[in-house]
Order: sequence, then structure tokens, then C-alpha cells
Amino acid sequence: MPLASIIVPSFNVADTIAETLTSLCAQSYGDFEIIVVNDGSTDTTLDVVEPFRTDPRVHVLTQRNRGLAGARNSGIAAARGAFIGFCDADDIWAPEKLATHVTHLLASPDVGVSYSGSRLIDDAGADLGLAQRPRLLDVTAAHILKRNPVGNGSAPVIRRDVFDAIAYRPHSERHRDWYFDETFRQSEDIECWMRIALTTDWMFEGVTGLLTAYRINANGLSAATDAQLAAWEKMISKLSALHPAFFARHTKTARSYQYRYLARRAVSDRNAHRALEMTRASLAQSMRPLLEEPRKTLTTLCAAMTLHCAGPAALDVLMQKKENNT
Amino acid sequence: MTQTCTVLHLVDDTTAGGVTRVIDQMVAAAPLAACAHQRVLPVTRGRFGALPKDVDIIVSHTAISWRTLPALMALRATHPNVTLIHVEHSYTEGFVVHNVTRTRRFFGLLKIAFSLFDRVIAVSEAQADWMRRHELCSHKSLTTIPSWVDLSPFRDLTPPRGPIRTLGAIGRLDTQKGFDRLIAAFQSLPDPDLRLRIIGKGPQEKHLRQLAGTDPRIVFAGFADTPTDAYADVDAVVMPSRWEAFGLVATEALAAGRPVLCANVDGLRDHDPFGAQLIQGPSARDLVLGLRRMLDTPYSPRPAQNLRHREALSVRLWQDVFLASVADRTGALATAAE
Repeated sequence: MPLASIIVPSFNVADTIAETLTSLCAQSYGDFEIIVVNDGSTDTTLDVVEPFRTDPRVHVLTQRNRGLAGARNSGIAAARGAFIGFCDADDIWAPEKLATHVTHLLASPDVGVSYSGSRLIDDAGADLGLAQRPRLLDVTAAHILKRNPVGNGSAPVIRRDVFDAIAYRPHSERHRDWYFDETFRQSEDIECWMRIALTTDWMFEGVTGLLTAYRINANGLSAATDAQLAAWEKMISKLSALHPAFFARHTKTARSYQYRYLARRAVSDRNAHRALEMTRASLAQSMRPLLEEPRKTLTTLCAAMTLHCAGPAALDVLMQKKENNT
Repeated sequence: MTQTCTVLHLVDDTTAGGVTRVIDQMVAAAPLAACAHQRVLPVTRGRFGALPKDVDIIVSHTAISWRTLPALMALRATHPNVTLIHVEHSYTEGFVVHNVTRTRRFFGLLKIAFSLFDRVIAVSEAQADWMRRHELCSHKSLTTIPSWVDLSPFRDLTPPRGPIRTLGAIGRLDTQKGFDRLIAAFQSLPDPDLRLRIIGKGPQEKHLRQLAGTDPRIVFAGFADTPTDAYADVDAVVMPSRWEAFGLVATEALAAGRPVLCANVDGLRDHDPFGAQLIQGPSARDLVLGLRRMLDTPYSPRPAQNLRHREALSVRLWQDVFLASVADRTGALATAAE
């Protein structure tokens, strides 16, 4: 039995999955299996995957479309490893990623969720020069709710025991357990991480290094931010009853960070109205981001103001200057 | 069998909670009384003072914290030849989730404290699993002994007949018990003839009354002086606790022939084989679904025999622990004499 399983949820990813699987097969640590969950793809995903099946470690599982959470759940149900990693079929793992997480989990029996930072790449796979560098140590449930240090769905490697602890089976489900909540089409990650943090005492801890290349899809990003916010609020209302005091204390700050994130996205889209609206909404929820992350919060505020008062050209000039300085 | 050892139970919480009743039951249990002379000594938390000298075994039922650690260390230092046993009545995975922010530091505390004892007793299998998982004490020194109280008065209650009309929430009104979740879930059940009886008192009472609002179906019955009274007036018992080392209420309710619906946490999981139903999942909706399922399913209580076996097993295990401690000690003394 392999020590690790890597689950690759795949829905219409013919363009990118070859690069993903190549990076996984090239991991420096070799005792793993790859479970490609073909989530009802209607393109040539399966054909692209086919040549990889000559590697005996690669398994393909096809199901009717159940969404990201459903694909991950099927992958977890089929996984045989004690450690389970996830890599979305458009992201890339650095060669030493699995080795680093396996070492981390073997050395830290209290850690259930091991994650790393990520560098961001664009549609063409070019490095955007941007990174997610999350907090790595002393992570509490509050940090997870506010800043989600796990970052993205291709960053964590998680103990099987953690999933066994949160497994449940809704009455409508006949075949296997649920780990991620399949009624969520967005925010399914943070919902699952919060459930781990609020119902088990497994610790979250990060390892150093940007071990995942996380693809920022130019079109996907700006789409459906309202739906994303709605999914996030659904997560809050689903879990609030678990720990009312915790949510009473942290929800406003967490929501403020959510709005700040949307403000930053609006700035990148050069949407002045939305950027200002979201910045205001963020500050109205809580001033804590200003205290906890003054630099990032002030930058967001300034960018939104500049965009609003002086227009996109001015913002471009300022950002150009900043890039020249660094 | 003649009494072969003297046992001193240290208790630092003498409120009418479960711990006191569990210890009383231990002292009263005939098979234990036959092999050990047991005494109970209430102590101030974190300051045990001078203890009687002529004891073979000290059983700590006290709360571990950084503040009480010096007292535990002193206990070990001043009783090198006494077998020290700790019964962990409080801490569980759920406790950590809801009360501890610096998990690693807390595990460090427990590891130090547990290492001072010759034996650590977990009160449920789920709690023992948790201790093993985090390697809080050596596997060799860990024993699981389910708590028990005298269940005969509960067995004597008339089991409810017909459909469930009154749900009972029994226990201290505290965040731990999760009755706030229960009130919210109960209010989503439309049946006007259903009742929720909340039995107990505690710091959360005002908040719970606010949540219940003007819903005439929810009754606050106050504290039941006689534990059996709490069960006589209800057809089923719900335990939506956030953490629970063992959950005596579940065994009492099962002995009384009442169906029990438990949160899927900590020691409450241990009651599943004895007939308790577990809530599938942590969300508010899961609790509502669990309630609906309980109300819709005709209940057939498991034979009370199972609970009797469990009780007998606990007594046996304690007997073994006492006798083994004495045997170890005589063995050690004999070796020393040589």
C-alpha cells in the first residue's frame, strides 16, 4: 500500500492535466498513488490521461459530474494512502512537495493538515511573480477562518485519520461517505477546513517553500464573486451553531477580509466602483484587518481611492513605479 | 477475599455533578469494597495539603491545569512508594476544540501531568483513542474504564409507550451541553404537541430562555434533586454536547428505556453499541434530521443486560487495577529486600 495518495479532481481539463500529471509523476518521493477523478468531463480529458496510465501508480476513476467536492470525496474513498494530497488538474506540484509534506507529517504526530505556500502562474503557465505566503506556525481556528492559510485546493496534504474523523453520510447518499460538503459549489475548501478545525483537534501547520504552482485563470477570477460571497456566508451559517462564541468573535473580521479580497480583485479588474464599494464594506465590518495587516489593508484602500479619484491610468503609473522599485 | 489495600480518592470538585456520583458508586460497589478499603478526601484545587500516610493507592479525580501541576508534582515527590492513579474526567478532543487555542502547549501540560502517575484511566474508549493518538501517556499505563453509577433506580422507571411526545435535555445548562443548538433545532419542528423539557440549571440558563422565547412547547423544569425524576417525565433524551468525556446521562436514559440521541463526539460515541443514536454530522441541519429520524422510528430498547455487562466490566477493571498495583508494589519491595 502506498504511503501517500494524490487526488486529482478533473473536469474538462484536457488543456492542462498533462502538465499536472507530469509534475506529480516526477515527485522525488516515490511511494504514492495518483487517483485521477474524471468528474464527468465532456472534452478529451480521458484521452489526455490515457498515456499516463502506463505508470502503474496512476489510477483513473470516472463518475457522473458531482462537482469539485464530489470528485474529491470519491478520490478520498478510493485512496489507500495514510496521507492524502490534492492537486487540481490545472495546478503543478514542485518536485520536492510530496517529500516535504511526508517528512513533516511523519515528524509531527499532532499535525493533521500540512500545507505550503504557492506561487501563482497564468493561463500559459508563466510565473506571475506573485505568491501566497501563508502563516505556517501556531495556526488557530481563527486564523483559518480569517486568512485561510491553506490557501488553495492544491496546497494541502492531509492525514487519512483527519478525514475519517469528519466523515459523514447524508441520507441521500448510498455509496460512500462525504468529507467535503457536496452541497457547496464554492467555499467547499474553507468549509471543510473549518469543520476540521472546529470538530477535531488535529493541527494545521505549514512547511516553508512555495511548493505549489497555482493557476490564476484570467476569466474565472472575476466571475461570480457574488456567488462566492454567498457560499462563504452559507459556510458561516452552517457552522455557527457548532461554536457560537467563536463565530460571534471572529465572523465580522473574517468577513472584512473577504470584502478586502474582493476589493483587491476589483482593483485588478480596474473596476473603480466595485473596488470602493468593497473597501467600504470591508472597513464597515471591522477595523481589525487594519491592525492585523496594516500594510496590505492600506495598500488596498489607497489603490481603490486612486482608481476612483484619478482613474486606471494613474493606478497603472503607481503600480509601475512600485514594480520598478522592487 | 480480604481487603488487601487502602485507596484514597482525591476529589477537587464536590458539586453534585457526575464525578461525585461515580466515586460514591465506586466506594459502594461490593466487589471493590471486598478488595480495597476506600476513602474519599475532598481537597482544594491545586493545594492538596497533608494527606493520610497509610495508603497504598491514591486515585486523583482532580482537574489538571498549569496551576495545579505543582501540587501534582508534590504529590508524586512525597509519595514515591504509593501507586498514583489519575482518572481523566474532563479533557477530550471536543474540550480542546472548544477551549484551547494553544493546542501543543496544552498537550505538553497533559503529557507532563500524566507522566507523574503510574496509571491513567480514560473514562471512554473514544477518550482513550484520543490520548493514544496524541501520545499523551504511555500505552502501557493507559486503561479504559467506563464510568458507572447505580442504574437500578433508572431501570425501575416505567418505559414510555407510544410515540415520543416529550424530549428531555438533561444536564448543567452550560455551553458544553449544546442545548442552545437543541432549542434552535427543536423550533424547526412544527408539531404543536411536541414538548422539550430542559432539566438542570447553570450559567447558560438566561441565554437559553431567550432562545426559547415564547415557544410554549419548551419548558424549563429546573434542577432535579433526584436524578430519576428527570427521566420520569420525558419520552426520549437528546445530548447535543460539544464535548463529553463519558456522558452518564446517556447510560441513565438507556437504563430507563428512553431512546437517546447523541452528538457524534468524544465519549458519547461509546454509547452507540448500547442503543444510543448518533447525530450524523456537525451542522444544525444534521441535528434536525437526527431529531426527525428519532421521532419517526419506533424505538425498541436493547436488552438492559448489555448495560449490566458494561457495569460489571468496569467493576472488574477497577478491581484488576487495584490488585495489580498491590502486586507490583509487593514485587518491587521483595526485589528491594533481596
